[in-house]
Amino acid sequence: MKVYVIDNGGQWTHREWRVLKYLKVDTKIVPNNTPFEEMKDVDALVLSGGSPSIASEAGRMGLNGEYLDKADFPILGICAGMQFTSTHFGGTMGPALRPEYGKATLHVEKDGDLFDGLPREFTVWESHNDEVKDLPDEFEILAHSENCRIEAIRHRTRPIYGLQFHPEVENTEHGYDIFKNFLKVVERRKS
Amino acid sequence: MFDAEEFVNEKIEELKGQIPGRAIIACSGGVDSTVAAVMVSRAIGDKLLTIYVNNGFMRKGETEDVDLMFGRLGINYKLVDASDEFFNAMKGVTEPEAKRKIIGERFIRVFEREAKAYHAEYLVQGTIAPDWIESGDGVRDTIKSHHNVGGLPKDMDLTVVEPLRDLYKDEVRIVARYLGIEVSERQPFPGPALAIRVIGEATREAVEVVREACAIVEEELEKASKQKRMERPWQYFAVLLPCQSVGVQGDRRAYGRTIAVRSVESIDGMSAAYSKVPYEVLERISFRITSEMKANVNRVVYDITNKPPATIEWE
Repeated sequence: MKVYVIDNGGQWTHREWRVLKYLKVDTKIVPNNTPFEEMKDVDALVLSGGSPSIASEAGRMGLNGEYLDKADFPILGICAGMQFTSTHFGGTMGPALRPEYGKATLHVEKDGDLFDGLPREFTVWESHNDEVKDLPDEFEILAHSENCRIEAIRHRTRPIYGLQFHPEVENTEHGYDIFKNFLKVVERRKS
Repeated sequence: MFDAEEFVNEKIEELKGQIPGRAIIACSGGVDSTVAAVMVSRAIGDKLLTIYVNNGFMRKGETEDVDLMFGRLGINYKLVDASDEFFNAMKGVTEPEAKRKIIGERFIRVFEREAKAYHAEYLVQGTIAPDWIESGDGVRDTIKSHHNVGGLPKDMDLTVVEPLRDLYKDEVRIVARYLGIEVSERQPFPGPALAIRVIGEATREAVEVVREACAIVEEELEKASKQKRMERPWQYFAVLLPCQSVGVQGDRRAYGRTIAVRSVESIDGMSAAYSKVPYEVLERISFRITSEMKANVNRVVYDITNKPPATIEWE
């Protein structure tokens, strides 16, 4: 299985690569201006988190939009990756009323593939100044936290997922399980 | 998960091709650079000279311990005392990024001199993933310039080799255990050393104060973990703050300095939670610092911030 990590400049981009590598996935970190055609043989993409405000500044998210338009394989957007995904499909984002850094409690509302077999409440690690304000109709909310209404999303018809928190960080509980659940989606679509 | 044997074998082969001539390695005696030194010395043997620089900011007894450890490793090494040079360069410097960059450059100037004397063209460093990630690049914000990446001067004439670039601390420890390196479990200690544990100018006097406080924090937390009163934390130290506060010592007004105690739990240094140290252990640390260092410090505080939003070190 081949899953590339699109580098949007996050502090934990390399951690996403490490988690995928530990899960025995053929993986590589690539710049976010890598032409889609060069990644034709991948089975999925992870859109990494980014440097501050990157998701709302034109041009800085490179070709992330093109990947979302053209991919027929699963995509998981993390932090800025999720924020960009929602705005790309017509949602809105903006500065969070209460930004979250470090520890938070996640409340799962729906399994939505990613949370299959996981508890309804667990500790996750956050690092964001912005948040998704309005979600486009094609998406549904899967989880929230005390200070953030939209912590996890799923596209209703396409295999596109988003997480505001960081499953790749050691302090996040069930981080590996969430990646494994995403990889199960990838596996199902392959076969 | 992570296969140390495979990693070591692959890297040693790669290093043989990467370093055709002589090389020096910058080695602090910590786990990352010692692992790199052992691996490169297996790859190129006597063509490697290991160099430890005493920058004047090392911990209590550290230079002596490293000297003994290198001796036991049986590698080709040299200790360089450059403390005057570093203290002079730090005069009047208070901004954390300026401190880190000046220290990074000083290190390189020392290594350039040593490389010239040894006729080496390659500089090996024990750089690991968080060092280059946090130093920033074209797409990534600079959180702090690690001396061995963001602190490198542009005009250096050595070729840098970094065999551990893609590893995190937990993986380096696995490699260290596989290689039988005695410092495999040593706590992380940043390259700029105590200079970034003095907030403000790192004068000789201030470094001496934080050196003593760090020694007390290390002794007490290590003792408490040996007695099974707590797990040994991932990283634990003292920071000298640039603020004074009022106290009363033996019926006399005091107006002394403040030490912050920092202790965190982490796996890879990229995220961390503050340690839930038992109150009795914290109290003992506070008591020892304020009584043994009473001329300098009259207040001790405990840092209860996770990473993020804080970083592990204060600068």
